[in-house]
Amino acid sequence: MWSLAYGLIALAVVAFVVLYAAAHAPNFKTVNLADQLYGAKKWLAEYLPSFPKVDVKSRFRVFVNVVRVVKANATAYDYVAKQWVTFPVYLPVGYRLERAGESVVYQVYLNVTRCRNATLQGGTAAMLYEVELKHSLDPLPWLEVYAAVPRNITQYYSWLYNYYTVSRRSPAVGLALSVDANVGFMELVKVEWALVHNATSGVTMLYVAAPPSALYILVVDYPLKVPLACPQRR
Amino acid sequence: MIAFRDILIFAGLAALAAAVIASLFPAGEGASPVPACSDCAFKLTGGYWIRQYGNYASLYLGTREVARYGWAYRADEGRPLKIGENATCSPAMYLWVFGGVAYVSCDGSSPRFGRDVLGPKLPFVNITTSSDWRSCTYTYRFDANLTERYVVTVDVYDEEGRLVFSGTTTIPGSVSFSIPMAGVYRVHIYAPPLLDEWHTLIARISITDLVRAQVFTSNNTEDLRPSTSLKIFDLTNYWKKGYTSVTVQVNPAGASYTLSAPTGAFADFLLAWEDCHNCDPTNGALYIDEVWRITFTQYIVLTRISSQGGYWHEVYVLDGQAYNLPGRKTLIWTWNKEGPKYNSFTVPWFVTTVWFESPDSTMNARATFIKVC
Repeated sequence: MWSLAYGLIALAVVAFVVLYAAAHAPNFKTVNLADQLYGAKKWLAEYLPSFPKVDVKSRFRVFVNVVRVVKANATAYDYVAKQWVTFPVYLPVGYRLERAGESVVYQVYLNVTRCRNATLQGGTAAMLYEVELKHSLDPLPWLEVYAAVPRNITQYYSWLYNYYTVSRRSPAVGLALSVDANVGFMELVKVEWALVHNATSGVTMLYVAAPPSALYILVVDYPLKVPLACPQRR
Repeated sequence: MIAFRDILIFAGLAALAAAVIASLFPAGEGASPVPACSDCAFKLTGGYWIRQYGNYASLYLGTREVARYGWAYRADEGRPLKIGENATCSPAMYLWVFGGVAYVSCDGSSPRFGRDVLGPKLPFVNITTSSDWRSCTYTYRFDANLTERYVVTVDVYDEEGRLVFSGTTTIPGSVSFSIPMAGVYRVHIYAPPLLDEWHTLIARISITDLVRAQVFTSNNTEDLRPSTSLKIFDLTNYWKKGYTSVTVQVNPAGASYTLSAPTGAFADFLLAWEDCHNCDPTNGALYIDEVWRITFTQYIVLTRISSQGGYWHEVYVLDGQAYNLPGRKTLIWTWNKEGPKYNSFTVPWFVTTVWFESPDSTMNARATFIKVC
């Protein structure tokens, strides 16, 4: 009988120690900034094709999560009507994107200011994209830039035309349906790029030398892929 | 034998022993220990405070230094502490540690990494529209990046400019309304100062897949054989204009049918069919061999008005459809022969096809009606 009493007392001691330790052990929440950043970029990547497209610069300056577009005409072959058709498309030329994680604010501002023909040192012709870049986090060592060269431009525009006939809305080059769906028609070529920071104006310019046959460039801050086209061409 | 009384005594003893042991601990110390971690957040209660020195920041409990960090920042403002500056919080201090740098918050709000590079972020509202074809119910969904709640009003006007629906919701939210009758509607969406937009809605019956059939919106008395054996008279506009009854003339002899206004119909049609390509003379009984009325409400109702002639007739409709299931060509009426004799037939769907057939197959006609909302 007394052993039972000792047992109960021992049990009380053990229970107390366990509870006390549990209540007083250092406990903390892990905060994974990398995961938050990845989540924010993934969210943007997912919703990028559905963001509103604005072709008025004043709207682009004040809205967030919008795509600045330029209207253009594209020519496609209508396989049903068996004739060439011209239809309106949007060329994406700027983005103002924001997504906040719990502790991370991911903002990126991309805007093609100019696009011009240039000759590289080796004598090859290139299309030089000048892109304004603002980023809420420090420079992007992981930034990658690709040029999207269509394998068959007629096929690509015909696909866009299909999309146009179904949805009755102008598709955006590189953004129709999903970024990857467009990339499927493209040969992605890794291109040379440079970031130049102007300390006076506080603006960072991204210079990209793409092959002249490229339809657009793809700025990749993995997993966010952002297509940017030349405003003047095609 | 252990009695219940003994168990009570033992339990009391156990509680007493626990109380004695507990009293041996430094009771009521009130301070939580500091975990050694990085990329983490924790809460400290007790007299903790942080002091910034020239090349490090110290976390003190009272006067005892318990941890050192590379630098200390205020989480709410995002600014680093000045050298010699103290930070303290009561009753609790929340600390975020990233790579040896500490962020102090008194209210538990997380520090924010990332500068604001975008500048102004004006609100915008995303409007999405969806509709149910069967009941012709439209839903306007409003989503926005707003911090305040705005009330949005949706007004729907018909072709005569009459208000047929008015509803409000707050953003984010949605407004639903059903269109009573086929036609063109103007939708005014406003939420000052955010939104003031007009949209156009077209609700109609699309008549497609016509075989030897033609659609008219007023009387037609011509003999259109052999190209047309079925005349479809669209009566919807008359009911919209408030007529209580309409008389439709279908052939050169002036045969006519008087129909009274249906209640609550979305659209209404009279079908007049001719069964023979050469027998009825021009002044005779043309386009009256089968006369049917097709009325769209939430469902499609076919009503027989008259039948005549020497040939046998068969009237079929496409029935039995459901989601992802095709309909069946169903015989609903026979004339001068054995078969079903429905004077009225309801198709519980928003689309159907009507066939008229006779021994003179050159007069067989067909039309498909689709409610488009």
